[in-house]
Amino acid sequence: MMRVNRLDSPTWNALKINDAVIADDITLNASGKAIVEKIPAGVIIGNESCKDCGGCDLKDAVDIKSIKCGMGEEADAFFTEASKDVLMVHARKGREVSEPVNIRYLMENGDYNADRVEILAEEGSSITVIMDYTSSRLDAKGFFGVQTKVRVDAGATVHLVKVNLLGSDFLCLDDIGVTVADSGYFNLTQMCLGGGRNYIGTAVSLDGYKASYNGDMGYLCLNGQSLDMNYHIAHHGRKSGSELQVKGALRDKARKNFRGTIDLIKGAKGASGNELEDVLLLSDGVANKTLPVILCDEEDVEGTHGASIGRLSADMLYYMQTRGFTKQEAELLSTKAKLNSVRNLIKDEHTHGRIQYFMEEAFK
Amino acid sequence: MERERSEVNDIDRSLYDFRYEEKDEDFYKVKEGLTPDIVREISKEKHDPAWMLDFRLKSLEIYNELKVPDWGPDISGLNMDDIVTYVKPKTKMQATWEDVPDDIKNTFERLGIPEAERTSLAGVGAQYDSELVYHNVKEEVLAQGVIYTDMESALTGEYEQMVKDHFMKLVPPTDHKFAALHGAVWSGGSFVYVPPGVKVEIPLQSYFRLNAAGAGQFEHTLIIVSEGADLHFIEGCSAPKYNVANLHAGCVELFVGKNARLRYSTIENWSKNMYNLNTKRSICEDGATMEWVSGSFGSHVSYLYPMTILKGNDSHCEFTGITFAGAGQNLDTGTKIMQTGERTSSFVNTKSISKSGGISTFRSAVTVGERAKDAKVSISCASLMLDDISRSDTIPAMDIRTNEADVGHEAKIGRISDDAVFYLMSRGISEEDAKAMIVSGFADNVSKELPLEYAVEMNNLIQLEMKGAIG
Repeated sequence: MMRVNRLDSPTWNALKINDAVIADDITLNASGKAIVEKIPAGVIIGNESCKDCGGCDLKDAVDIKSIKCGMGEEADAFFTEASKDVLMVHARKGREVSEPVNIRYLMENGDYNADRVEILAEEGSSITVIMDYTSSRLDAKGFFGVQTKVRVDAGATVHLVKVNLLGSDFLCLDDIGVTVADSGYFNLTQMCLGGGRNYIGTAVSLDGYKASYNGDMGYLCLNGQSLDMNYHIAHHGRKSGSELQVKGALRDKARKNFRGTIDLIKGAKGASGNELEDVLLLSDGVANKTLPVILCDEEDVEGTHGASIGRLSADMLYYMQTRGFTKQEAELLSTKAKLNSVRNLIKDEHTHGRIQYFMEEAFK
Repeated sequence: MERERSEVNDIDRSLYDFRYEEKDEDFYKVKEGLTPDIVREISKEKHDPAWMLDFRLKSLEIYNELKVPDWGPDISGLNMDDIVTYVKPKTKMQATWEDVPDDIKNTFERLGIPEAERTSLAGVGAQYDSELVYHNVKEEVLAQGVIYTDMESALTGEYEQMVKDHFMKLVPPTDHKFAALHGAVWSGGSFVYVPPGVKVEIPLQSYFRLNAAGAGQFEHTLIIVSEGADLHFIEGCSAPKYNVANLHAGCVELFVGKNARLRYSTIENWSKNMYNLNTKRSICEDGATMEWVSGSFGSHVSYLYPMTILKGNDSHCEFTGITFAGAGQNLDTGTKIMQTGERTSSFVNTKSISKSGGISTFRSAVTVGERAKDAKVSISCASLMLDDISRSDTIPAMDIRTNEADVGHEAKIGRISDDAVFYLMSRGISEEDAKAMIVSGFADNVSKELPLEYAVEMNNLIQLEMKGAIG
């Protein structure tokens, strides 16, 4: 049993949202494939043993293992045990890498595996990393977990893209931890469309002056799918900024929990944190829990949260119906529009195509 | 040129911190602590029927089984072994003000209660420590069939069955540890029944004063507003400050009938040694309206979340709250709403201000059930930080189980906007006055809902002295 996504500021236990419990006995079989599709110029890919051999620049990479991730300590221990090796992605100082690094995980029926990834963007560098988890069968069963730790040095930019297109009977853990230094920028684009039970934990520590974070999350939960999310954005740096947009749709018997914490810590003068959630509920029987938290220990800050949860607005529905759409067609169109607004942030045609195909199949 | 500085001061507590030294011979007290014998003693002293004694003892068992909440402010400074759960003035409840003992009468007169009664209230109950010392209702209200009496009279008189049918049915002792404590040692409080179709034009008020050091107050308020009836009930609370912990674990149960309306206003100004662990809950039938107006200014620690169950179709609730946390205070306030009926709606609007190291937390839970078709929810909470040694958190939870709902939520935490100050200054207002005006405006849409005109005491609670620089 693993307790994950625990809130730092818990509330009534009866609401059953303070954390999530994964009761499964996860036995890994080292199956599945991780493919690094592209290694653009200016990027070094390696692993821990590679680092230790001293034969390449990875030996200089500073250890980023101490970065805390969003799913918590029990998940951290699980990943440390489950994946002995770490895939390392390293953008050297000042290098602006225009092509994305694509890391594809092909997880087929019966595959049970976990991986760890560390991304280091040195001072002034810029890099995009696209990680997608795919099953060729929509109903594939298995387990996939990945822990991603990211260090964004001063003035560096990291755009991390995560796309979940796993089979509908997969248990998926996606654990992310990030630190951002002065004027660094971390941009996280996530799409969670596949998998049966998905757990996502994201912890971002904005340590530096003007460190910033932007997160866009799009999800679709159909049938019996569930999604449990925990975001913790800690503002330590002065004038640090964060924006988090989470949007998606639930249908059938889908379940979704969203916890989003903006933590404005003493000393983070001039910091600003904003989060926005937009949830479309498409049928009876869905369950949506939302807990947007703002913790404020500093006067000179701004924190805001907004949430809109429910059906398609009456005005929008009326407008669509005057254009000849039925209610169901209008809801479908609106759902696709929400998801496409996130998909369009991913600047990679192949990934676009896979997402498009998956969405078309899901809505059949 | 001499410049005037402005600041937002703490609430002036001098009005509330006066106290008369209580002489032991004037009061009956049980021992400190919580044992079955103490519970039996309270029950005997109150002439409980047998079922109530059984209820108390069962509640004590539940209390001993339940754990202290692990999610809110720290209450480790509260030791039940040091708390006296029952302190009774040696006077009977009086129906004429002149008959109330001088010390107690002077206390309430300083708080402005009789003045308020004469000018704007339909009835008043005044509780001193564990029991009511004064209760009076205007003749015209009695003529309408309204019952407004103390809980003990209701329980041992002709309304016993009505009490039995409703007592701790909305807040069962199993709800949480301090609800169980309340069930075991409750005393005092008011019972109100408004017959069908009766509209009580002017408010009723109960005022609770805890004067004894190291004591607890556990009053129970039970209000039944029948079909088509209308009532405004005001509750005020205060206590002088002591160096030992005091405890308030009252319970309010409100039953709002079909198409009825109840407004429940509270001005809470307990002293800063008080642990305020109060529970309030209402249930609304078809077409009913529940309105909460809640001002939290006092206490050392507060856990206060009035709850509304919108069980009936087309029922509606509004929660308007303001919390002011100053030095040494940790006020965890908010609301809980459960919508199960069709076409129900709820509207929450809260403001909180933190200063001088005070901690203010807005906590809420809105649950919309599967059968709550066409439910509407709107929540807005705003917090203002007046200095960099205070803290303000918002923890709002929403659990939505139907697709046919519209739920909107917005929260904002920040300090006084420089843009707003600049705008006002460009209109010729000084910086200090501009800031003072903004703070006043921040609280205004909530404070204007407070029934200030009904009791002199409430005017004193909301005074924000606005001279000088803020923060």
